[in-house]
Amino acid sequence: MFRCLPIALLVAALSLIGDASAQEAAATNRATDLKDRPSADARTIAPLAADAPVKVLARQGAWTQVEAGAQRGWVRAFHLRFQSTVETSSGGGGGITSFFGFGARQAPTTSKVATLGIRGLTPDDFKNASPDPAALKKLQSWRADKASAERFAREAKLAPVAVAYTGGGS
Amino acid sequence: MRAFLAMLALAAAAPAHAQLDIGRLLDLGKKAVEVAPQIQQATKEYTVEEEVALGEGIATGFLGAVRLHGDERLQRYVNRVGRWLASQTERPDLPWAFGVIDTDTINAFAMPGGTVIVSHGLVKRLTSESELAGVLGHEIAHVLKKHQLSAIQSDAGWSAAATGAKAIAADRIGRSGDVLGLKSQLANAGVDLVKDGLFLRPLDRGMEYEADRLGVVVAARGGYDPYGFVAVLTMLAQVKPDESGASITFSTHPSPADRLAELEKAMPALEKYANQPQVEGRFRQTVGAK
Repeated sequence: MFRCLPIALLVAALSLIGDASAQEAAATNRATDLKDRPSADARTIAPLAADAPVKVLARQGAWTQVEAGAQRGWVRAFHLRFQSTVETSSGGGGGITSFFGFGARQAPTTSKVATLGIRGLTPDDFKNASPDPAALKKLQSWRADKASAERFAREAKLAPVAVAYTGGGS
Repeated sequence: MRAFLAMLALAAAAPAHAQLDIGRLLDLGKKAVEVAPQIQQATKEYTVEEEVALGEGIATGFLGAVRLHGDERLQRYVNRVGRWLASQTERPDLPWAFGVIDTDTINAFAMPGGTVIVSHGLVKRLTSESELAGVLGHEIAHVLKKHQLSAIQSDAGWSAAATGAKAIAADRIGRSGDVLGLKSQLANAGVDLVKDGLFLRPLDRGMEYEADRLGVVVAARGGYDPYGFVAVLTMLAQVKPDESGASITFSTHPSPADRLAELEKAMPALEKYANQPQVEGRFRQTVGAK
């Protein structure tokens, strides 16, 4: 009897976790493969058509674990798109894309001026604010020097790697 | 290679003296009108010192409107991650400084010269240090490529305003001292950039894509899983624009879906680093602790 309670709590907790991850709905953005491991060499469990609805379970590097119908497996992270009411702001003639048939609520951003319609922060806040050199000094007092940053990286077993910049002619 | 780049940086810094002399002339009280053409010339190529001064001015104006987060442990943590990443770049010796602002909005900003700001709203939505490294990598890349600087300089309004602001600031400093405690006229002009809203204007889309592309490389160089940033963009793709002030990010950046599509082209070269650490434990300990 006394042992039942913690188990009941554990089950309740697990079901909560399950609910949380189940909320992450996505869909394939192209035809792809459902793999049994997060690797290109892994066995293909099933092919997935474009626009197949999936539930996201976990992420690992380039791969995302999903539930597709009754099957679980891994798909490439880039082969998924996510439910959102954010439309693409592409000005290149693409127009508005609405995921999952959600209504188009945001016009494409053609204006060069940012709209700062955000909670507690408006353009007026910046216009009317007094510059705060003391706040900058405070921020600068938190700086890390090179050596301490290196120690900090080593503590997490982070080792520097020589990686070249990629593409784009930069 | 690193030494060669450092030498280049030194070479770039050398002409500073010539242009600082202009500043001294101003301080000596020479009429602003007479030196205005010289200043205009000087805005074309900023020295590292001027870039830093302008950025500090922008940061001073910015921090007048948005408060820093009070968790000093978090602030120092973000500085260590950022400084470690910046050390892996071609501008390791800028006075890099990182700050978390106390707002639930989702955004990050880079000022010229190496001051980087992230919102607490963004940090608390991340799940690992590799994701934070992706965000900071993106902002560091803006500084490396001097994106804000070129945006500011290419703005016709700014060119005129900068000349005017600098002349006025010089005149003011000459007559009544530096009221803001900012030594450089450029720093004072930076403050005005924030007041005018110019600093908050969106950058060119190409610059955002470039910062995404370079940022993941910076994260990989630091030893992190570069896919942390892919997870961040994925998270952003799921945030509703009206949620927690996310609109500022979406109004100043291409959509996360567009950015993911662009970034996909760069990621195959980085896939071999996908198994590098994500560092979740230390991140949760620091960000979770109030």
